[in-house]
Amino acid sequence: MRLYFLVISFFSSLALSDCFESIDSSRTVIAGGSLTEITYFLEKEDKLIAVDITSNYPEETKNLASIGYVRALSTEGLLSLSPTLIIGEDDMGPPLVIDQLGVTGVDVRIVPEEQTVEGILRKIRCLSSILGVSKSSQDQKISLLNKDVNKLSLLVAKNLKSPKRVMLILNMQGTSPIVAGQGTSGDSFIKMTGSENVASSFEGWKPVNSEAIISYDPDYIVITERGMGSFANIESLANDPSLKFTSAAKNKNILTEDGMAMLGFGVRTIASALKFSEIFSKK
Amino acid sequence: MRVKPLVKNLLRFTNSSQIYLLGVLLIAFLLAFLASISLGSFNFSVFELFNSSKTSLHTTVLYEIRIPRVILAAFVGASLGLSGASLQGLFRNPLADPGLIGVSAGAALGASIIIVLGSSLFPGFIFGAFILPMAAICGAALVISLLYVFTRGFGYQGITYMLLVGIAVNAFASVGIGILTYISTDSELRGLTFWTMGSFGGASWYLILPAIVVISLSMFWMIPSSRKLDLLQLGEPEAYRLGVDVKKLKYKVIISSAITVGVSVSLSGMIGFVGLVVPHLVRLLGGVNHSYLLPGSALLGAGLMMSADLLSRILVQPAELPVGLITSAIGAPFFLWLIFRIRKI
Repeated sequence: MRLYFLVISFFSSLALSDCFESIDSSRTVIAGGSLTEITYFLEKEDKLIAVDITSNYPEETKNLASIGYVRALSTEGLLSLSPTLIIGEDDMGPPLVIDQLGVTGVDVRIVPEEQTVEGILRKIRCLSSILGVSKSSQDQKISLLNKDVNKLSLLVAKNLKSPKRVMLILNMQGTSPIVAGQGTSGDSFIKMTGSENVASSFEGWKPVNSEAIISYDPDYIVITERGMGSFANIESLANDPSLKFTSAAKNKNILTEDGMAMLGFGVRTIASALKFSEIFSKK
Repeated sequence: MRVKPLVKNLLRFTNSSQIYLLGVLLIAFLLAFLASISLGSFNFSVFELFNSSKTSLHTTVLYEIRIPRVILAAFVGASLGLSGASLQGLFRNPLADPGLIGVSAGAALGASIIIVLGSSLFPGFIFGAFILPMAAICGAALVISLLYVFTRGFGYQGITYMLLVGIAVNAFASVGIGILTYISTDSELRGLTFWTMGSFGGASWYLILPAIVVISLSMFWMIPSSRKLDLLQLGEPEAYRLGVDVKKLKYKVIISSAITVGVSVSLSGMIGFVGLVVPHLVRLLGGVNHSYLLPGSALLGAGLMMSADLLSRILVQPAELPVGLITSAIGAPFFLWLIFRIRKI
C-alpha cells in the first residue's frame, strides 16, 4: 500500500513540472498573478473558478472567488470549490497543502518561472498546453507578442552598449527605500531592459540607506505605483531626502509602473520592459 | 526657566558618585555622537570637511542626510529611555516599558494603516512624507484619550487598572495590525515588517525639527518630577500623605511619555529593548533615585540608540539592518553581564 503511494507521489511529482494537457481543466484555480494574466490573454478565462489575491489584472478577476494569499493556501478552502485543476508557480504553498491536494486527486501543476523574455514566452506555451490550447492558436497568440519582443531585443542590444544605471524601489514608506538587489524580480526586470542594476552588491529586497543611494547615483529610479504610497506625485517623491541628491531625481528621471505589470513576468511585463527600454535608450 | 529647578534637583538629591557616573554617560554620549557623524557608507573625513568650507556632495551628505539621522536617533533613544524610567517609577513595576500603556501600539496601528491602505485612502496626498508620522501620532493620541476615558482621568482604581487597560489596548491594536498584515500585498508587507523593526532612514530636517521641539519640551516637563517619583516608591497613599499630588503626577508622567513615545515611534518605527532595559542598566550602575535615573536613562538611551543606528548603517552596507535588531543584540548581552556581576557581589 505504502509502495503504491510512493509510486503515485513519485509520478505525480514528475508530472508537477510538466506542461502537458490536463485531463479536465473545466474548473481551474490559479495561484499566481502572471498565470491569471496569461489565461485571460489566451482567452481561456471561462475555465477559471477562483484566483489568488495577487491576481488583480485584468479587472474582471474581481468577480472570481478568492483563494487568499498564494503562499498560505488552505486545503479545505480550495477543495470546497471542487476544482479539477490547480495551477501555480514555485511560490505556491505551503508545501504540505500542495501535497494534500495531490493526494485528493486534484491535478496540481507548477509552471516553471524564468524571469526573461524567453521565460515569459515559455510560460505562455506551458500554460496553453495545460489548458489544452491547440498548437496553431498558441502560435497565433504568441505572434501577437512578436512585434514587441523583436522591438525589445533591438533596444536591449542598443542599450547594452552603454547601459543606464537603474535603481528599482519596491516601497519607501516609513523606512529607507526598499531596493531590488541581486536575484530579485526587480533585478531581472532591469536586465530585461538592457540596463544595469546599481544595487548589485547584495541579494534580495533590502532597505538601503540614503548615503548608499547617493553614492550609487543612479541615472534612473523606477518605483512601483503602490510603493509611491501617499506621495502625491513624482516631484514630491523626488524631494524626499533619500532620493533628492541623485542624478535621477535632479534630471527628473523617476518613473513609476504598476508592480505586477513590471515584476509579475506575465504578458504585461514585455510591454513594460519595452516601454522602459525605450526611455532608457534616449540620450 | 525650567533648567534652574532641574539643576537644583539634580544636585540636591544626587550623590557625588552618581554625578560622576552621569559625567561618564555624557562622555559616552558625546563619543557615540562623534562616531555616528564621522562614519557611514559614504566615506569621507568629517574633520577635513569642517575645515574646508567648500560645498560638495560630502557636505550635503553630512548636513542633509547623516546629521538629521543621528540627531533623530539621539532624541528617540533619550525619549524611550526617559519614559521607560519614569513609567517604571510610576507603576512601581520593573517590567513597565513605553509599550505597556499601549501608546506605541496605537502609533504602530496608525502607521500600518497608512503603509497598507495609504495609497487608496489618500491618493496624491500633498504632505507625502508627513502623512505616516501624522497617522502614527493620531493613533497614539487616540490611545491616550481612550486611556483617559477608561481610567476617568488617569485617577480611577489605582495604577493596576491602568496597566490592564493598557494590555487590552495593546491587544486591540495588534489585532488591527494583524488584519492589515493579512490583507497587505508583498511590497506592503515588506514595508510593514521593516517598519516594525525600526529605522531612522526617513530622517530629514523638516521631519525631525517638530519632533525635537516636542520631545525636549515634554522631557523638561517630566524630569523635575523625579523627587515625587522617589516618594511614590513608598506606595500611593504614603506618597499622598507626604504631599505628592499623585493624580497630577500620573497625569504628567503618562501624558509626557505618551507624547514622546508617540512622536518617536511615528518617526522611527517600533524599537524594542531601550525603554525597558536602559533604566535597569542605569539603576544597576548607580542607584535608584530618580534625580539620577531620569537624566541617566535619557543619556544612555540616546548613546545606545546612536551606536545601534551607526551599526545598522555600516554593518551590511549599502543595505541597512533594522535598528531594533541591533538595540536588542547589543543591549541584551550587556544586560545579562550586569545581572551576573551584581549576583556575584
